[in-house]
Amino acid sequence: MKLCLNVNGEDYHIETDPLRRLLDVLREDLNLTGVKEGCGEGECGACSVFMDGRIVNSCLVPVLSAHGTRILTIEGFSKTQRFHVLSESFEEAGAVQCGFCTPGFILAAEALLRENPQPTESEIRNALSGNLCRCTGYSSIVEAVMIASRKGKGLW
Amino acid sequence: MVNVYRPASLVEALGFLRQNRAVPLAGGTDLMVQHRRSSGCTPSFGLPVLFIGHLDELKAMHAEKQTLRIGAACTYSDLLRWSELPDEFRTVISQIASPAIRNRGTVGGNVCNASPAGDTLPYLYALNAQAVVSNAEGNRLVPVSTLITGPGQTALEQGELLTGFLVPRTRFSTFFYKKVGSRRANSCSKLSFLGLARVKGNELRDVRICFGAVAPRVVRSPETEAWLSGRKTQEIDEMVPQIRAAYARLIRPIEDQRCTLRYRNEISLRLLEYFLGTLAGSKR
Amino acid sequence: MNETISDATDRPDAPDKIGGTAAYVADLSFEGMLHARTLRSSRSHARITSIEFPDLPHGCFIVDRHDVPGVNRVRMITDDQPFFAEELVRYIGEPILLVVGPDRERIDETLGKIRVSYEEISPVCTLEEAEKRGSDGCFISYEISKGSAEQAFAGAWKTYQGEYRTGLQEHVYLEPQGVVGLYENGRVTVYGSMQCPYYVKSALIQGLGLSEERIRVVQSTTGGAFGGKEDYPSIIAGHVAFAAMKIQKPVRLVLDREEDVICTTKRHPSVIRIQSAVDERRTVIGMQVDITLDGGAYEGLSSVVLQRAMFAASGVYRVNDVQVKGRVLRTNTVPTGAFRGFGGPQAIFAIEMHMHSIAEKLGEDPLEFKLRHLLRQGDSTVTGGKLRERIRMPEMVKRVCELSGYSDKAKEFRKEAKRSDAPLHGSGHRSDSEEPKGEKLRGVGISFFSHGCAFTGSGEKDKIKARVKLRKSQDGSVEILVSNVEFGQGPMTTLRKIVARTLGVPLDEVLYRNPDTDRVPDSGPTVASRTVMIVGKLLDRAARDLKERWRSGEEIEVSADYEQPPRIEWDQEHFRGDAYPVYSWGTNVVEVEIDPVTYEILITGVWGVYDVGRAIDERILRGQIEGGVAQGLGYSTMEVMQSRMGAILQHSIADYVIPTSLDFPKTEIDFLNAPYAHGPYGAKCAGELPFIGAAPAVAAAVQSALGVQVNRIPVTPEYLLEIVKDEALSER
Repeated sequence: MKLCLNVNGEDYHIETDPLRRLLDVLREDLNLTGVKEGCGEGECGACSVFMDGRIVNSCLVPVLSAHGTRILTIEGFSKTQRFHVLSESFEEAGAVQCGFCTPGFILAAEALLRENPQPTESEIRNALSGNLCRCTGYSSIVEAVMIASRKGKGLW
Repeated sequence: MVNVYRPASLVEALGFLRQNRAVPLAGGTDLMVQHRRSSGCTPSFGLPVLFIGHLDELKAMHAEKQTLRIGAACTYSDLLRWSELPDEFRTVISQIASPAIRNRGTVGGNVCNASPAGDTLPYLYALNAQAVVSNAEGNRLVPVSTLITGPGQTALEQGELLTGFLVPRTRFSTFFYKKVGSRRANSCSKLSFLGLARVKGNELRDVRICFGAVAPRVVRSPETEAWLSGRKTQEIDEMVPQIRAAYARLIRPIEDQRCTLRYRNEISLRLLEYFLGTLAGSKR
Repeated sequence: MNETISDATDRPDAPDKIGGTAAYVADLSFEGMLHARTLRSSRSHARITSIEFPDLPHGCFIVDRHDVPGVNRVRMITDDQPFFAEELVRYIGEPILLVVGPDRERIDETLGKIRVSYEEISPVCTLEEAEKRGSDGCFISYEISKGSAEQAFAGAWKTYQGEYRTGLQEHVYLEPQGVVGLYENGRVTVYGSMQCPYYVKSALIQGLGLSEERIRVVQSTTGGAFGGKEDYPSIIAGHVAFAAMKIQKPVRLVLDREEDVICTTKRHPSVIRIQSAVDERRTVIGMQVDITLDGGAYEGLSSVVLQRAMFAASGVYRVNDVQVKGRVLRTNTVPTGAFRGFGGPQAIFAIEMHMHSIAEKLGEDPLEFKLRHLLRQGDSTVTGGKLRERIRMPEMVKRVCELSGYSDKAKEFRKEAKRSDAPLHGSGHRSDSEEPKGEKLRGVGISFFSHGCAFTGSGEKDKIKARVKLRKSQDGSVEILVSNVEFGQGPMTTLRKIVARTLGVPLDEVLYRNPDTDRVPDSGPTVASRTVMIVGKLLDRAARDLKERWRSGEEIEVSADYEQPPRIEWDQEHFRGDAYPVYSWGTNVVEVEIDPVTYEILITGVWGVYDVGRAIDERILRGQIEGGVAQGLGYSTMEVMQSRMGAILQHSIADYVIPTSLDFPKTEIDFLNAPYAHGPYGAKCAGELPFIGAAPAVAAAVQSALGVQVNRIPVTPEYLLEIVKDEALSER
């Protein structure tokens, strides 16, 4: 099937099985390997992308559902000023260990800060509850988001 | 061989279903897991997949005087953003899965998936919600409790599509919902309890009690509810054993990889007792 | 340069990881690369009588035991495990063959059409069944003793006994296991997610029957490991190596998550029985500990896991007369292996709960009771080794009690427990689905624990014989050449800090790439919390050497080899002497609230104080502590993995749940930063220690809250329902 996706600001016209997972289309057809497969069942959040402004697990999205939508992956987001604030904040808080979950958390943080630029700790933990991390125990990630929301005044 | 169909309108979708057996897919958060294959492989559905998640006709949310009309393809996030969403439903929905899943998952999907542990089901049953079932000829209304006939089974006929819900805007003075999961977020329900009541003075009016994940379908006892409604709050304490026994006969929990039979059995009844205690207003 | 080495430094690996540009094995691709998937045994114990293949699609290959050019045994401690099953399969998930091809859809279809016929053999699925088999059911058994436990028991005033159980635990590193194998110009190269490139290389030498210069192993950026990528990668590395050699194309194998959960190594379940003899002074004077571990279907690393468990059997306590018996039993279940703590957590859980229970029975505060028994400098360990360093536990315990308010809370919660029958009650008002307002049952627990640093016994001296190198380039940059890997725990930062500081050069002139066996010497595996203390120390020595020989504009290479400190004496045959060169120590306090209706456990506070010597990087150390504690909290509360007839019941991570951001509060941490004379800049070991104390502190807190013995983890609401007497808690 012929489909059109706008990914990271660019239109892509692809011909593929409409039931393929968006995750596979992004990783394999578009070489966006920053989108990770951690579980394939929507539990870990490592495959997170934005679809029309909402964060979703790309392992659960059939690519036909993404037809005509705007997709933002970590690769696209990493070109923004917001990303730089988040990135610095993650480093400052010590929130990066093995790094496999990190792109997903960066996008989850962005999803939160878009709606709520000054979140409380509880709101942060809630917003991150769909992303799994096995290395950090989450406190440093939560702190990273708090730092970003303080540093990024005016950005969100 | 058509493996998917993406209709431009609901009418088109119903037209397709009239001629073809298909799997309707809105958000896909259950279906993509159930039909998944190995990494890098396309999920395998067996039947053509009818995409309906993009249809505006299925995403409408209206608050009428007595009723809420909710499109079957409204995502949980859509509902959470809706100011008219009843607080009780908001409480239930905000405990479903994760933010990313809530951005895709739908109430229609939850009902059609008909899992014994479906998170929206106890609420929809308790509110006497009705499903709007449509085919190319027209619509019919079916109570959600009748639509679901067993684990993974609905009474949808060939050519029919679940298109929406009608939820009465009943006001309650007491609401208790407890979903017991395996952790504090993003967890399947091991068991759940939902209790609603309208209490006026010391009189119970309109009690609703539902149990989730402790039987093939949601457990509700209209007879027991009818018997409770109309009682005085001070009568409740001494009735608790009977009421507990009545529900004990109805629940049929199983043992599985998530939870033990004994736990489901005992804790669901304790939650019932707790709720009854709330109604009774009993003190320490 | 920083004030002190402990000051946090930027991690060089962070930017790529954050931006999604770091290349993990599933992100690697090579020209002409094929995919591989594994056909695995669906039986726990059977003879394969036939395998029927469909017609293979074009470009698809089968790779099996007949394609093993060398020896079909994975090099470990005992080489009992085949790369590919031969006639017998011994656990569900055991690899039988690979289907390899360019198209994963075709591979999946082909896999589905292969018909394996089995003749089932009665499996041994539980420890009880294995015990009945006698020596057939046992991989290995040991016995150690110090003094005479028999005499101590003969003179006892009272004796106490308990049986403690811990369950399976799966690592759930976020990055599933994976490898890529290539065969070019007569050489095999394997890239992969791994902890031990030289373990993999040794396994390939044996499996391929090639000499070592024809084999190259390169670690790819690794997304978490925790011990789960210590030995398992050797198996799948062999698989893709055989495939690459046979087909003459690159072959990539990445496990699906469910596959990883079912088939890769797990933490050893344990049953530990402890008997203690107590004298009139209410002091434990003798102990008998009996440890049984479930090794699964193959021996793997079990002998060393058992050793560590046995050496930790009396925990941090001074018991002069101890007898420890241990065995690893063989069952037809997934082979167990390394997981953060490596036998220590199981033993420490048992001894901590045991001491807690004795205290309760004697009517003494568990804190005071444990403090009285603490080991002191100069005491001997259970293997008769000497504790040469100062043991700072008393000040650490004081500190953790200060931070947590332990004593006041313990008193308060005890009073609460006595006062209420914990009746249920509601408010009668609109309660917007808050937690039931029945009086929550509160408890607080404290744990004391230690971890022997680095390899058990004579491993460093006799087996590993680590060598490190430093290579100075003409431009003045210095590259660290070690086989230790970064998998999140920070050596890319900490080892570089050590070298930079010793050399007196800027940190960003010290390089450290993912190890490649063509370029790095064997400095040993990245396990046993040895990387900073042992390898870091070697690098420090090499750096001193390099500093002396430094000449601007010249290329210089120096190496340093491990030397056993002369003061360390160890008899590997009798397990006598210094099992470890030094210990790190810790104490945790955990506070819980238990819902009286559902028995759900809410952890409301976690505190930890640690002595790991000097922190080479405080921020990284914090990360290790917070992460280790979270894993320990998960281990003790929600990580349920059960096996029925050899089949794991919780095989997706929807059912085997690990903690989310909402499950536990932040751990309040303090660490002493007291230098250890023989560690690099005073560092000891830190990676595994933080895991160990969480579970016993949780169990102790629950035990205090409910007044019932908690002898098993995970402590689930279902388990609590079984053990709590209903009369105490239901509304009547």
